[in-house]
Amino acid sequence: MELTNAIVLASVCIGSGLAMIAGIGPGIGEGYAAGKAVEAVGRQPEAENKIRTTLILGDAIAESTGIYALAIALFMIFTFGIPLMP
Amino acid sequence: MGNPAEVNIVFHILGMPVSDIVVATWIVMALILLVAFLATRKLSLVPSGLQNVGEIIVEGFAKLVVDMMGTKGLPFVPLIMSIGLFVLIANLIGVVPGVATPTSNLATTVMLAGIVVIVGHGASIKKNGLLHYIKGYLDPHPIMLPMNIIGEIGKFLSHSFRLYGNMIGGAIIIQIIYMFAPWVVPVPVMGWFSVFMGAIQALVFTLLAIAYIDVML
Repeated sequence: MELTNAIVLASVCIGSGLAMIAGIGPGIGEGYAAGKAVEAVGRQPEAENKIRTTLILGDAIAESTGIYALAIALFMIFTFGIPLMP
Repeated sequence: MGNPAEVNIVFHILGMPVSDIVVATWIVMALILLVAFLATRKLSLVPSGLQNVGEIIVEGFAKLVVDMMGTKGLPFVPLIMSIGLFVLIANLIGVVPGVATPTSNLATTVMLAGIVVIVGHGASIKKNGLLHYIKGYLDPHPIMLPMNIIGEIGKFLSHSFRLYGNMIGGAIIIQIIYMFAPWVVPVPVMGWFSVFMGAIQALVFTLLAIAYIDVML
């Protein structure tokens, strides 16, 4: 029983770490979008407000997959990991 | 550390447990209804004071809906305004000490996304008939039927999880910072996560709600 609990706890920790590898995606995507936004502002400085709004909007949508990974990791930790902590 | 999967029961009404999130939802509703009541007490053709603010809010939401949907979206403006104002105030009210954030619980966000799904599909059936609605699932080719169904479920799940994930992520990070530096440091963190991200997620939720209803009509 002790061994089973230890194995489950260890795999929860490893699984959460693996799940958060998905943090790479929004980082790259939003950085690329920010670069394109800076380019657009450089090309047409009067449209800066609209470009900033569109950038923030696009960021919030692109963040979604990172949030799904976070939800899976939190779910694993809090339903399997915390009850088994010694 | 606070477990996001458990709720704190505050009191019982007639034997039913009431959690702190339900009480926070009541506070949000009371705030919105109070402002609405005070803004419409003596309606005049030339607005002033709180009525002015109310007209700005209504016109802002109507412009948002009509810009994305055209004039056929006017019947949906009250629904979109209710969802938008509720999500915005619910995200911001987490800053008040002792009040829970209603949208940091999966129940609230799933119900909000569920309302959008029900209204979208219901409006499509009512406007174009049941046959056209079912043929929409077979649209490019009948072999796409399972993928269209999974797409609809995916839209619903992503809609609710985006809002929930952002709010609960912010709450957990603020809790961790409380453990290390409970004095002035949490204030800018709460400003970023609860206020800024809360307002942006409210705007994104509202825009997506408009888009999801628009694509069904």
